[in-house]
Amino acid sequence: MTDATSPISTARAPAGWLGRLEGSWSWIALGLVGLLLPLLDDSYFGVIAQRAYIYWILSAGLNLVVGYAGQIAIGWVAMLTLGAYTTAALAAGRVGGVEWHPYLALIAGGAMGAVFGVIVGLPALRLRTFYFAMTTLGFATIVTQVALAWKDVTGGGVGTPGPVFPWPFEPGWGFYYFCFILAALATWITANIGSSRYGRALVAIRDAEVAAEASGIAKPKLLILIFLLAGGLGGIAGGLFSSLQSYITPDAFTFEMSVLFFIGILIGGRGSILGPALGTIILTVLPEFAAPLVQWSTFLYAALLLVIVLVIPGGIADLLDYKNRRPLTQHREILPRPELLSRVLGTKGEANAIRLANIALHFGGVRAIDGLDLEIRSGEVHGLIGPNGSGKTTTLNVISGYYRPNTGTMKLDSADLPFDKPHARAHYRIARTFQTPRLVGAASVLENVMIGGTVRGHGTFAESMLSLPRHHRDEKQLKDAAMQALATVGLESLAAVRADRLQHSELRFMEIARGLMLRPAFLLLDEPAAGLSPEEIRRLGALIKAISREGTGVLLVEHHADLIFDICDRVTVLNLGKTLAAGTPAEIRSHREVVSAYLGA
Amino acid sequence: MFVSIVSYGLAVGAVYALIGITYNVMFSASRVFSFTAGMLGMLGGVLGALFINKMGMNAFVAFLLVLAAGAVLGIVTEILTVRPVLKSIEQHLYVLSTLAFALMIQQVTAIEYNTEPQPFPVLFPIDPNSWLGIVDQKIWLPVLACIVTIVGLELLYRKTLIGRAFLAIAEDSYAARALGLPETRLRMASYAIAGVIGALAGFTGAQMLLAFIGNQAILNFYGFVPVALGGMGSNRGAVIGGIALGLFQQAANFLVGGIFASVAVFAVFIVVLLLRPEGLAGAAAARRV
Amino acid sequence: MPTSAREPLLTINGLAAGYGKIGVLRDIDLAVRTGEVVALLGPNGAGKSTLLKAISGLLPRQGSVRFAGQDMSGAGPGDTVRAGLVHVVEGHRVFTQLSVIDNVMLAGYGLPREERAVQVEEALAFFPDIAAKRHDRAGTLSGGQQQMLAVAQGLVRRPRLLMLDEPSAGLSPVLVDRVLAAVARLREGGTAVLLVEQLIEKALASADRVYALARGSIVLEASTDEDDLPNRLERAYFGQDAHAPLES
Repeated sequence: MTDATSPISTARAPAGWLGRLEGSWSWIALGLVGLLLPLLDDSYFGVIAQRAYIYWILSAGLNLVVGYAGQIAIGWVAMLTLGAYTTAALAAGRVGGVEWHPYLALIAGGAMGAVFGVIVGLPALRLRTFYFAMTTLGFATIVTQVALAWKDVTGGGVGTPGPVFPWPFEPGWGFYYFCFILAALATWITANIGSSRYGRALVAIRDAEVAAEASGIAKPKLLILIFLLAGGLGGIAGGLFSSLQSYITPDAFTFEMSVLFFIGILIGGRGSILGPALGTIILTVLPEFAAPLVQWSTFLYAALLLVIVLVIPGGIADLLDYKNRRPLTQHREILPRPELLSRVLGTKGEANAIRLANIALHFGGVRAIDGLDLEIRSGEVHGLIGPNGSGKTTTLNVISGYYRPNTGTMKLDSADLPFDKPHARAHYRIARTFQTPRLVGAASVLENVMIGGTVRGHGTFAESMLSLPRHHRDEKQLKDAAMQALATVGLESLAAVRADRLQHSELRFMEIARGLMLRPAFLLLDEPAAGLSPEEIRRLGALIKAISREGTGVLLVEHHADLIFDICDRVTVLNLGKTLAAGTPAEIRSHREVVSAYLGA
Repeated sequence: MFVSIVSYGLAVGAVYALIGITYNVMFSASRVFSFTAGMLGMLGGVLGALFINKMGMNAFVAFLLVLAAGAVLGIVTEILTVRPVLKSIEQHLYVLSTLAFALMIQQVTAIEYNTEPQPFPVLFPIDPNSWLGIVDQKIWLPVLACIVTIVGLELLYRKTLIGRAFLAIAEDSYAARALGLPETRLRMASYAIAGVIGALAGFTGAQMLLAFIGNQAILNFYGFVPVALGGMGSNRGAVIGGIALGLFQQAANFLVGGIFASVAVFAVFIVVLLLRPEGLAGAAAARRV
Repeated sequence: MPTSAREPLLTINGLAAGYGKIGVLRDIDLAVRTGEVVALLGPNGAGKSTLLKAISGLLPRQGSVRFAGQDMSGAGPGDTVRAGLVHVVEGHRVFTQLSVIDNVMLAGYGLPREERAVQVEEALAFFPDIAAKRHDRAGTLSGGQQQMLAVAQGLVRRPRLLMLDEPSAGLSPVLVDRVLAAVARLREGGTAVLLVEQLIEKALASADRVYALARGSIVLEASTDEDDLPNRLERAYFGQDAHAPLES
């Protein structure tokens, strides 16, 4: 399967295997230390370890929010507070006079966290980064103040005792193992999500939102699920915390704690599970061993955060990722293999054409598109050209659902294509690429391409979370399909490489591979030849032509006149938002007005 | 009672408005929101108390030193936490770098100074029973500071070339750069001005808010609400929003008590933002594709 | 125009530039002599704006740029402006929130006050219509007037070389002629102009020499009094590969 000329194939196979094992070794080591710690019979270490487990349970969930989804939720300590007080108050019978069984109280704490996780997280869908960070901060302050004021339930400033769990998880080593088991569970669940199509979708939303939308990823639904899970984990962590502390007061839940969780995740590195786990453990354990520095601990954490942000934004995970520092071959060639397309694209669907009729779009006083008719037919390459500002990219954006035109209709055969819904395009099997490549730099090329196939998975979030069979089937199918797509565009030897190490031209082909994952009936290409060498343009042209011969309708927005005239079946020329001319390349080439418009008259 | 609500509301609202302006000045210069606005406010009070009470300095000298400290911190913020991340592709990093820096300063203050609220000296020896003392100085000081700041900024922007350069950069930093304007130096100057305004807010408001490191978090949030509601970069919106917030908070405090007042403010904040993410006076977000 | 034995005012050698990873310009050699008008033509996406930005320092670049005998390595826009090389960017990006006079004054930021006042008036004198509106907010001006304002901004520093990026874009023919008349006056006054243009015929009429840029490289360099230029340009634009020749 690996090509003899591939640049890093000889190094890849063992490194990939070793890389997986290396990750597992760390977990195994951590697990062993955790399992065997009680043998030391030192209750001081035991308490520190329990605190680390509890913090990690919360951080594991927060990791998905911050590390994967990229939402700066700095007030997340509120979940700990909510979970702690819910569990403690219910177990102590402060609500309704009935004393809840500790396990039920714990579950209730988790549920509270889950509900409020969603409530706090919802603004993330509408607000800019800083605004969202502020709302989480405000929320954390409110929760603490409510805890202070609601004396009946929370005991106010005096506080309330935490629950005591019965055998086998009684205080002491029993409870230690309870926390250990739950921490292991939290790790397993979040790691499953992280390495599933949901995890990849989160990272896509974080780093390449428009590409995520074009691949069919619906941000609201996914973020709500993540906030639900993270809030739930935070709530459970809170319940455990109230038991560990035996007695909780509002001033136990400080802003510094929120910062600590946050920093642990960032030190660990985004998009990783192991990194944040190590980060959280280090931050929990460190103050215990550096007693004189305890007073300065928050200062040092903040300083560490600053250093990380400025110097190594990728955190520990980046430092551990030595296999991505291996040099790549210098003069790599992209050798597409169009003959593989039939396997990638599958059977031709029934769709025949996308038709735009009388589309007009104004931005303020500017008529970006002024009465446009356009038809993209299956099996044809349709070129769209015109001077700068003629409306080419705007037209493409209307078709892919980013803009709502002021007038006009857009149909896929007889069905109306909805406006303003870019993430619906994937379900119509309309794929696109972008003027500037949109990618997840920190993820591998393979993962980037797999993102394109996110909607082809069948397994639910829960199935991924629990690593059930359908999730694994999905993953295998997606991976195989992605490798095939990469082979088709000629990039399979770079599959394991971090995407931000690729050259610009390789990224353009990678975007096409990602688009192919939708098995597109229509493929919209936005200046794919920009920045490519003449030889690469030739190969690109051959690939696009082959894609159209398989039955896909291609819309090619381009500046490179030679590419257009070479491979297009039909060409539409736009000028100032209107069709200047439409026809075959030969007709367009000799059309006086077109030449003038291009050259200016 | 009504008079008390209105006067306290105006005074604390003026402080919030000034912090909002601090955010705005930094934002206009760099398109970045910084977590250091609250920090500057906090230090205005803490450093003032430190200089006057603990070190026995003359109040006016202390005032000037506090403003100078604000300017210095503003410049350090720009160099250390904003400039390096402006070049990076990941724009959200500035949230973290400014947060980290603000936290570091807060922790140092907490350790070296005091974690409990400390009294701030009465600045002007005015007899409360004389006619000059009708309005308590802790009320009119922040209001006066707010007025002076607004007038000062107007004069700066309309009458000086450097002020117009600030406006140019706020509108179109690319065109400003192409014209040859010294973008970096102007940005540093903006951050210095923001530092002065933040310190001024803290110093004049400290007779009310006391010298307390906890003010950092309080001012960070309540100083941001006017910006969020009034629209980013709009000083007019910040002033209106700040005064409105101050009055609302005092009224709510009186009617339903402290905790529910906070909840009420937060609820209004969230609801307005969800309905109009760009604020009541701001412009809609630009095209992304 | 007699060829000067001296070094040209602006010399570019081996210039390469792009945006991040996207390489746009490859190995560009170009020269502009004192007092001459050079037109830079080419289809969209060829890299004309990129070239101007690379010269003025708005974009990082590789290769050498020499202006007025100085090596401009590492120079940013502020440095090039002070050296006498001014870039008027495309899209008539004036500061709409400020008045006309403020816009022009800002172009003289850093000059001593009296000098600035004099040079601002000189610049405005080129465009009396704009001068008449000096206290109006720039946002109230029409697109064409804003373009003239942008050129006026470029003149405040009395540049030795003025680079204009598509000054005719979006302008009516009358206004285009006005702008090009200003270019002619500049030439008479000894200012060199590097003019990026889409309108071939107008550009050829105003310029002494022309470069054509396509797909990131210079594909043609000629003096404007040479024969058959329009056809040679068309062929250069569409590439000289095996395509059917254009019907004339």
